[in-house]
Amino acid sequence: MASFDKKPYFAALKVHLKNSWMFVVFFVGFFLFWEYSIQWFDIPRYILTPPSLIVEKGAADLERLLYYTYVTGFETLLGFVIAIVFALPLGLAIAFSSVLKRTLYPFLVCIEMVPKIAFAPLFISWLGFGLLPKVIIVFLVCFFPIVLNAILAFNSLSEELTLFSRSTGGGAWRTFLKIRLPAALPQCFVGFKYAAINATVGAAIAEFIGSDEGLGFYIQIVTGNMRPDLAFAGIFFLTLIGLCLFGIVTIAERLMIPWHISVRRG
Amino acid sequence: MSHQIEFHGVKKVFGEGADAVHAFGPVDLTIHQGEFVSLLGPSGCGKSTLMLMTSGLLEPTEGQVVIGGKPVNGPQTDVGIMFQDNTLVPWRTVRGNIELQLEMRGLSTAEYSERVDQMLAAVHMEEFSDRHPYELSGGMQQRAAFCQAMVHTPGTMLLDEPLGKLDAMTRERIRSDLQTLWMQQRPTVIFVTHSIEEAFQLSTKVAVITPRPGCIERIIDVDLPFPRDFEVKSSPEFSAHVREAQEIFRSYGVI
Repeated sequence: MASFDKKPYFAALKVHLKNSWMFVVFFVGFFLFWEYSIQWFDIPRYILTPPSLIVEKGAADLERLLYYTYVTGFETLLGFVIAIVFALPLGLAIAFSSVLKRTLYPFLVCIEMVPKIAFAPLFISWLGFGLLPKVIIVFLVCFFPIVLNAILAFNSLSEELTLFSRSTGGGAWRTFLKIRLPAALPQCFVGFKYAAINATVGAAIAEFIGSDEGLGFYIQIVTGNMRPDLAFAGIFFLTLIGLCLFGIVTIAERLMIPWHISVRRG
Repeated sequence: MSHQIEFHGVKKVFGEGADAVHAFGPVDLTIHQGEFVSLLGPSGCGKSTLMLMTSGLLEPTEGQVVIGGKPVNGPQTDVGIMFQDNTLVPWRTVRGNIELQLEMRGLSTAEYSERVDQMLAAVHMEEFSDRHPYELSGGMQQRAAFCQAMVHTPGTMLLDEPLGKLDAMTRERIRSDLQTLWMQQRPTVIFVTHSIEEAFQLSTKVAVITPRPGCIERIIDVDLPFPRDFEVKSSPEFSAHVREAQEIFRSYGVI
């Protein structure tokens, strides 16, 4: 699989920078505008704080922020991983069972319409302030995109490949391992990525509703104390968790399906 | 084992009642072992349907397909199949794709290693064995697909417009590669095509199929020496065959 990485690393980085300098300029410009517009438009500090102050105050409270990042990060990762562990086999079962496809599948599609986050207060009331209700909310947010994409993935084998595998007499298991599974991976990763993006939403909301630690708890408390600077610092670390999770999924995708067009073009 | 293929009153109807579509047949045809028979007809005449019924991947509504004296019930494994859209998988190299055929059948890739090399050489693909399909042109992909379909030395080859998506020049070259492979191994071949010239260049017999429902209008024996190159194609016999087929299609308003 190493043949995909033809460019030397630094050359690739150089090309990357060359292609993205406009974005870097825009990004820096955005933060400069934020920084100085607060002075120009005379926005009160308790409403919005300049990025420099967010960094300064955030750094002063770094210890607490890092610990809460660990707490929320752990909830997020746990919910995400459990969602994969349950959703993939279920998606597989639905894809290959005509009974499940007619019963469980439409049921899941209906449930998908329900905003999972609306369950958060219920789970908190049932299960208390601990880790479990948060993991369940993250799980619910992640579960549906993964299972629905997995069903799609395992049902999308081309007509030709289906006929080909039947003509070899290779049997269901061999067909699955050598053809169906690798062919399904790209669509599965669509689900993983969608789940990774939304996982932190679940964790934060669950913490807003009932928690005594974590970034969601932190953001709510400091906002109540009229400290938008610290709220932004909390949001920054929450974003960081999402980015890390998304990064892990992207790296896994590159390692597992380097042949797929989305990775090759990336 | 003999690889004679017989069709006894084979007919296919899709759907039931008022919505039923009579796609093909009834057809009676015998293809002797080692013959190269083209099913020549316009698109939508049921050629592919007949091919799928031969491979046992589709059940005839009426009649029976018999291969080597045994009636076809369910998928046949002693066949090599190729479609217009090839069955190369993107996560494997050319060599890996050819080996996929072997692995699916539980055959040892080590034992076949030499054969894979020979086949790649026969279609001028030795240098590309470590490339992935998406790194290859359409013509090269189809060459690799030929190797994939033939590596397990099937007695019967079923080729469903394998050159259909290629440009005219590439088709010309791959036709001769296909002919070389067939002459080396001499499997029984059913070749589905809508190119009149292609059918007569490659085949020992051409079954001219008329549309809706697909039926064999005439079977034309092509008694010209192999290998058939440009010389043969410019011969009067070849032109006469082509004209014969054209006249049938013209009388049916196909061309």
